[in-house]
Amino acid sequence: MNKSVFALTLAGACFLGAAAQAASLAATLVMPGDKEWEGSILSRDGDWIEFQTGTSPRPIRLGASTIKELQFSIKLDQDKLNEMNNNREYERVITALTSVLEPYQEFADIPSNLSFYNSLLMELYYKTGNYEKTREIAASLAVDDRDAALQLKARIFGALALIDAGDAERAEALLEEYGWNEGLDSAAAPEKLYIAAKLLALKKEYADAMELVAKVIAFNSHDPDWMQPAELLCAEIYMELGKENPVMLDSAEEVIREISLLYKDTDEDERAQQLKVKIEALRAELELQKTIEESE
Amino acid sequence: MKFFSRLHGRAMKAVLVAAVCSSGIAAAQDFASMGISDLVGSADRMLQRGDYRTAIPALAEVINRTGALTDPQGRETAQTCRFQLARAYFQVGNASEAVSVLEDYLANDPRPQERTALRMMAQGFFDSENWEKIEELSLRLLSMKDLDKDDVYNGNLLLGQARFRQEKWAESVAPLGIAVNTTKDPRVEQLCQIMIVRALVEGEQWRELFGWIPRIYRTDSKYDITLNLTLMKAGRARFEDDDYLNALLLYRMVLPREKLLAFAEERVSALVDKLDADAKRGITEAETDERRTEIENIRESMTVLEELPPYEDEVSFRIGQIYAEVRRFWEGYVLFDELYKKDRTSEIGEASMLQSVLVLYDVGQTDKAEERILRYLKERPDGQYARTLQTMLLRDNLIKQNFARVVEMLPNVQQLPATDDPAELELQTDLHYMMAFGFFQSFDYISAGEQFTEIIENYPQSSHRADSVYYRGMTYLMQGRYSSALPDFQKYQAENQYGEHLAAALFREGVCYFGMEDIEQAEATFTRFIETYSDDLLISEAYSMRGDIEAAKEATNDDPYTLDRALADYRKGIDTASSSQQASYAAFQAAKVYKLEYKWQEIIDLMQYYMDRWEEQADVAEAAFWIGQAQIELGQVNEAVEAYLDVIERFGNDAAQFGVDKIINELVKISQTHLSESDREDLALKVKLKLTNIDPRYEVLRLRLQVAEALLQGEDIAEAFGAELLEAGTPLKLTSPSTLALMCDAAVDTGNTEEMKRLSEYFIEKFEESDLLWHAYRAQTFMHLADENYEETLRSIDEAQGLFGAEPFMGWAQIIKADTEYRMGSLKEAEASYNTIMGVPEWRGPLFAEAMLGMGNCRVAAGDLEAAHSFYQRVYLLFKSYDDGQWAAKGYLASADVLVRMGEEEKAVNTLKAMLEDPYTNTSPLAEPVREQLKKYEGQ
Repeated sequence: MNKSVFALTLAGACFLGAAAQAASLAATLVMPGDKEWEGSILSRDGDWIEFQTGTSPRPIRLGASTIKELQFSIKLDQDKLNEMNNNREYERVITALTSVLEPYQEFADIPSNLSFYNSLLMELYYKTGNYEKTREIAASLAVDDRDAALQLKARIFGALALIDAGDAERAEALLEEYGWNEGLDSAAAPEKLYIAAKLLALKKEYADAMELVAKVIAFNSHDPDWMQPAELLCAEIYMELGKENPVMLDSAEEVIREISLLYKDTDEDERAQQLKVKIEALRAELELQKTIEESE
Repeated sequence: MKFFSRLHGRAMKAVLVAAVCSSGIAAAQDFASMGISDLVGSADRMLQRGDYRTAIPALAEVINRTGALTDPQGRETAQTCRFQLARAYFQVGNASEAVSVLEDYLANDPRPQERTALRMMAQGFFDSENWEKIEELSLRLLSMKDLDKDDVYNGNLLLGQARFRQEKWAESVAPLGIAVNTTKDPRVEQLCQIMIVRALVEGEQWRELFGWIPRIYRTDSKYDITLNLTLMKAGRARFEDDDYLNALLLYRMVLPREKLLAFAEERVSALVDKLDADAKRGITEAETDERRTEIENIRESMTVLEELPPYEDEVSFRIGQIYAEVRRFWEGYVLFDELYKKDRTSEIGEASMLQSVLVLYDVGQTDKAEERILRYLKERPDGQYARTLQTMLLRDNLIKQNFARVVEMLPNVQQLPATDDPAELELQTDLHYMMAFGFFQSFDYISAGEQFTEIIENYPQSSHRADSVYYRGMTYLMQGRYSSALPDFQKYQAENQYGEHLAAALFREGVCYFGMEDIEQAEATFTRFIETYSDDLLISEAYSMRGDIEAAKEATNDDPYTLDRALADYRKGIDTASSSQQASYAAFQAAKVYKLEYKWQEIIDLMQYYMDRWEEQADVAEAAFWIGQAQIELGQVNEAVEAYLDVIERFGNDAAQFGVDKIINELVKISQTHLSESDREDLALKVKLKLTNIDPRYEVLRLRLQVAEALLQGEDIAEAFGAELLEAGTPLKLTSPSTLALMCDAAVDTGNTEEMKRLSEYFIEKFEESDLLWHAYRAQTFMHLADENYEETLRSIDEAQGLFGAEPFMGWAQIIKADTEYRMGSLKEAEASYNTIMGVPEWRGPLFAEAMLGMGNCRVAAGDLEAAHSFYQRVYLLFKSYDDGQWAAKGYLASADVLVRMGEEEKAVNTLKAMLEDPYTNTSPLAEPVREQLKKYEGQ
């Protein structure tokens, strides 16, 4: 099947009623004082929103800035979405999600329940290595303080995207701004430890990085959300340390073994297997070097 | 664990077939007299209004009447009523009757409600805990075709529970898994997950268990107390079976007690509130009982948990141990670190401290490990692991040859409290033993000996005692205290028939006798050694030592062959050598003996033999040096020069071959003493040609040839070349002793202390055996002098003198030593040091004058002006000619000065006049100001 056609089909399969929403967008309008109106948005003209309530015969015009929140009614085939996500078909999910959110983009400046979907997109972009897009979404979500959890998530992904893009300087500044460079003890939040460890690893301060990521694993073993990436990071850093002290290559392999046991068929497992190949190559290289040194 | 015993899912509805529901109302009491239609109608109405108790006899009556019917409608009516009767029994809590009725229902036809009946029946067996029956029924249900979602769900739920209760662990997981995946009820999901975990743990299905973990730990199931206790128990069992990986993964799932209790408390509170609310709304007694049981179960598990001794730290410690065991060092470290921080004085805290240090050593974080150890020792000098930690620190530093760090730890070792624990005592001796080696390797043999003595005298049972006796002997030997060393070596032999150092102790015994000048005993001992340990590594040295003894003997008529015997021993020394160093010693000692006998050709032959025997390991440069010397003595000067040039060219690019540097110096000497002017020019030309044709990659050789060229042109040129090398920042890797010697001297001449430090350190580290090493010590000494660090100045001189003694080129060391002592106010020592100079004929010259002047200065400082005057007089009377009268002039001036201080001004004037008349001093630059002064004094 043609890829784009397939994607369209998929979008249709996952997001029911998207086509029907194209002309007018079903939404609940929340005004200051939490007064709510059910209805649909008909159009937008600059700052003006044309909204048709279910009871009123005539649409009303409202200033966008006067709206407290819009709650769009977006119908998703959650099972399908989960299935794709479980199959790690992230690009397909992104395509589909982007497509269904497209009609809502012109209302992005108004607080809405789109934040949730945007946060999904942000996470997916991060998983697929599109750090620019990740940061773009994270930046917009991070300033929205209606949902503290979502805001925290945006900050986390914003920081991670900077680190994974190799921008240590800006990442360091961001961590400092959030105060995430302090209090990195055993009681610290796992995400804070993890991000700080990643940053140190980027700066090639591997021993310090290792100490932090070890804290994620040792003190947050009940948190599968952070354990998985932390285990992978741990294996990566052990490998780097193994370049100086080959015993650490054993450590890296042990972590990989545990990842494969605990998190089979995950992104982390896949990357851990790639890391294993690298370690084997590194071992061969070290062995060769040793042989050369001995022969000299 | 709480198991729920009611079905969840679709509510059952009482539906009677239309055919039997159309009858009128009848009184409950008149069932026997009622017509069948009325009876059915009554039962239906009772069921519809929930009056199950009254409906039961009505339904029973219908069944009674229709049970034996065979027509389809009659059978259908009987079956429908059986089904409803069973349901009614359930509603009134009479499960056994319900089950009995359902058995009839399932034994007859038609069975439109068979699936529901099976489910109900299985449910009925819950109260009697007849799990086999439940399993059978649920399997029957699941084997039916076209099951709907609810049936699949309920069938698996029943089956999973039934198997679980029968401890069919492995078989219970799949149906429970289906139930988890199907249910929309979080409570069911949680309970099933907990059962799954328990089943997997009990069935030791680790891989499957760990597959479930991430999923379960995303839910509140992780807070279940029973689950946590199960995991902890399983973790411990795995740990005790050395199954570390599984133990780790189980242990690390266990949540801390306070988290579990807090969650359970919250859960109980929510359940109680809900029960109260629902009770007001109206729920069945069975439902109420069930809820109460659930609450009670949680409370019971809370009590169990509360009464459990503290487990968190133990679990953390075990996890740490496992992490370290599986080489996940850093995870182990942070856990141990945390436990230690939490409570530094508890047993687990201290053990964690020890473990954390072990891990740090494993990962190579030795600085961090040491920092922790030292902090611990400071906080708890008598801590449980004070000795263990110190042994770790000492051992690591010994391995790294960081001996200074080892000996620094002496105060810590000394402050350890006494113990009578055997294990601690052994550790204590380990500490003394390692400390002893730290001192030994730092050349502090006295302190090393003290540590060995500590072991010998205070730890007689120690495994180190025997070796301590031997090594204490070594410390005495190294101090030249042969008579003290001797009994230790003898004692070691007497007490350790199979000791590791038995042969060595005998050899050292010989060395002791030799040192004590008991040559006869020494020879006998070396002979005994040679006869007893012909395969020992020291055999070559024993031959060499005996050779030295024979060589030192005076040949007599009775015994004219001493040198022959010496030579025979040296040859054996070469043959039996196990290292090139041993062979070299024997070979070059033999060469010295031949030299005494003027046997030049023999020297040449021996060196050839030595080089053939040891080939590339031989000290070819030194051998060539001896060959060259012999050739010169045989009048073969040109051959010697050619041989030297050849060696320089062949080995000169290897900086480590410092015999080449010796040859360069020898070549310069030959040039000065044996070559004519034209031959010297020829030699210079040859060196120049070699420099022109040199391969550009041979940078070390180039430098050596340049040094040779400069030295052949004279001291001034050599000095200038040294300064040039210094100025150019010549890389150290290109230098050899001859280049370094020139550069060190240049650094001293220019007062460049930075270079003095850099060069001397490199020189001493790389070429400690070089004959030219004294240049490095000289630079080091001048560096300390410039820094006014007199202690280090004297230490540096001591080292230099220890290596080179009173060789002609070593006068600088003695005069600086004396000057330094003078500066430090140690006048007696200074005077003695100056006086020493006068006793070394090789230093005769300006150094004598300087020393004499120094002795005078010492006396002035001590207030003994007469004696001082006498020394000054001797300077200008005895050493007039040195350095163009410079020293004599200084003597005159100092003499006059001291006379003034003695009040003898006239004599002082006469002394100065004598200076101006003395032909050695009257043209000295020092004379002019004296002349001017005297003019003023005499009023001219």
